[in-house]
Amino acid sequence: MKKIAIIVGLIILGIAPIVFPSPFFVHLMIMVLMWTVLGAAWNILGGFAGQVSFGHATFLGAGAYTTMILYLKLGVDPWYGIILGGIVAVLISLPIGLICFRLRGPYFALSTLAVAEIIRLVALNWESLTNGPVGLLITTLPQVSLGGSPINWESKTPFYYIIAVIALGAIVMTLFVARTRLGAYLLALREDIDSAESIGINTLQTRVVALALSAFLAGTAGGFYAMYFRYVDPDAVFSIGLSVEMVFIAVVGGLTTVVGPLVGAMFLVTLGESFREHFLVGHLIFYGFFMMLAIRYMPDGVWGRLSVLIKKIYTKKGTNHGAA
Amino acid sequence: MVLLDVEGLTKSFGGLKAISNLSFQVNEGEILGLIGPNGAGKTTAFNLIAGFMPPNSGKVILEGEDVVGLKPYAITRKGIARTFQIVKPFRKLTVLENVTLASFLRFSARKEAEAEAHKVLERVELAEKATSFASDLTLSEQKRLEIARALATNPKVLLLDEPMGGLNPTEIDHASILVREICKGGVTIIWVEHVLKAIMNSCHRVIVIHHGEKIADMPPEQVVTNPVVIEAYLGKKAKKYEEGEQTC
Repeated sequence: MKKIAIIVGLIILGIAPIVFPSPFFVHLMIMVLMWTVLGAAWNILGGFAGQVSFGHATFLGAGAYTTMILYLKLGVDPWYGIILGGIVAVLISLPIGLICFRLRGPYFALSTLAVAEIIRLVALNWESLTNGPVGLLITTLPQVSLGGSPINWESKTPFYYIIAVIALGAIVMTLFVARTRLGAYLLALREDIDSAESIGINTLQTRVVALALSAFLAGTAGGFYAMYFRYVDPDAVFSIGLSVEMVFIAVVGGLTTVVGPLVGAMFLVTLGESFREHFLVGHLIFYGFFMMLAIRYMPDGVWGRLSVLIKKIYTKKGTNHGAA
Repeated sequence: MVLLDVEGLTKSFGGLKAISNLSFQVNEGEILGLIGPNGAGKTTAFNLIAGFMPPNSGKVILEGEDVVGLKPYAITRKGIARTFQIVKPFRKLTVLENVTLASFLRFSARKEAEAEAHKVLERVELAEKATSFASDLTLSEQKRLEIARALATNPKVLLLDEPMGGLNPTEIDHASILVREICKGGVTIIWVEHVLKAIMNSCHRVIVIHHGEKIADMPPEQVVTNPVVIEAYLGKKAKKYEEGEQTC
């Protein structure tokens, strides 16, 4: 049953842009998958480890700027640049983690907000590196050929397959976290840090690792963002709005679930992108609305609720309750 | 043989000396009771030994090694496990998952860790509750879960912080038996408790602290008749009453 679902999912993922080639639809799917990665990133830290971050745009932005700067100034191929974006995001996350994780609960959340603002202001003012508020622009992407024929970067389809691979990677990483001791330790952190410490869990180290994994995913998505839109500026990639959207997607989709971020992104991004044509930030109103509905009626998120229903239908035992 | 040696432990909160120059030794295989009036500093002493607070001065020597200054997780890995007076189970996880998290310390594979957790649950008689969520347990069961979780880390010394608090007399007797069984299983125990009956029946030795200072260190049957201890608990008038003087 599960295997069939996975195979069907992979086939749909593989042929979707061939079956529906309209640029808007491919763009929509690219956005859904990019936000899946970002939601998955937030889910590892905010869902599994229970450490609420309002500053995840920091890592998205760090990845985006890294990929952009490496390409523009050093000529590094974006395809390495995207991975390097993830790695730089990890490097930035380490000092942030070591400092902010001295705080707990709401104070940690506030500190992430503060750090994100600091980094945004640095990006805004470090003009020699980031070009300040003007932002960085790529006009052409390097020629790459696949199987003898050059890839057409003006079409959206190649981007779709790149982000599809990254999104698969994000889901596999979440699955890995959910299945291993690390994931179990993250749940312990979510429940009670003192208790976790008392049974021999190095809670600081574990939280830093969770943040680093999360930052890697967000940074990779950021690198992709830069290449896809070919333009970054501090307000586009470091804004609090982006951080909050990640929270929305992870929460509405279902925290501590493996496919929750995908479901949340499908649900919210589809709505958001449909409304974006009519008003610029109108989608956030709907995000907020669904966030409220989810908190009130589906605290386990859309997927949390659906998976319980599916299990009921197949009358299998056990409840969906995280991983440990 | 001395397993744990506490030397000159001192902790002040501002001007208040919560623990002052506390020294005691714990022998291997012993159940050491730690009693004292409310606010005497019993839980603070535990927090200092288990690393949840740094002491201002003093040493905590486990098998010849000073563990003061280590983080709580590191002290647990050295072999000092604790329970909390106010229970802190992982509420949204099952009983088995709670204990498995602790046995992960020694077994990194989930299957082995779970098998070990099952054994510990058998020991504390919680095996039939393995699939219940920790939040659904009664207080008595949650206290057992705390003990199970601490045991699953395979400690040399177990610090029990009021495992009887809030339990009814039947549950207290039941829990006393459990504590003695754990001791027989080779775990040395330091036991903070207000339920004196349980302490008297189970401990080999009792330490009394008052205003952060040790005022008695003797077998339990002597503690109940010790004038200094009675004064600490009941005040000077009670002492005079003991001596046969009319107080009112």
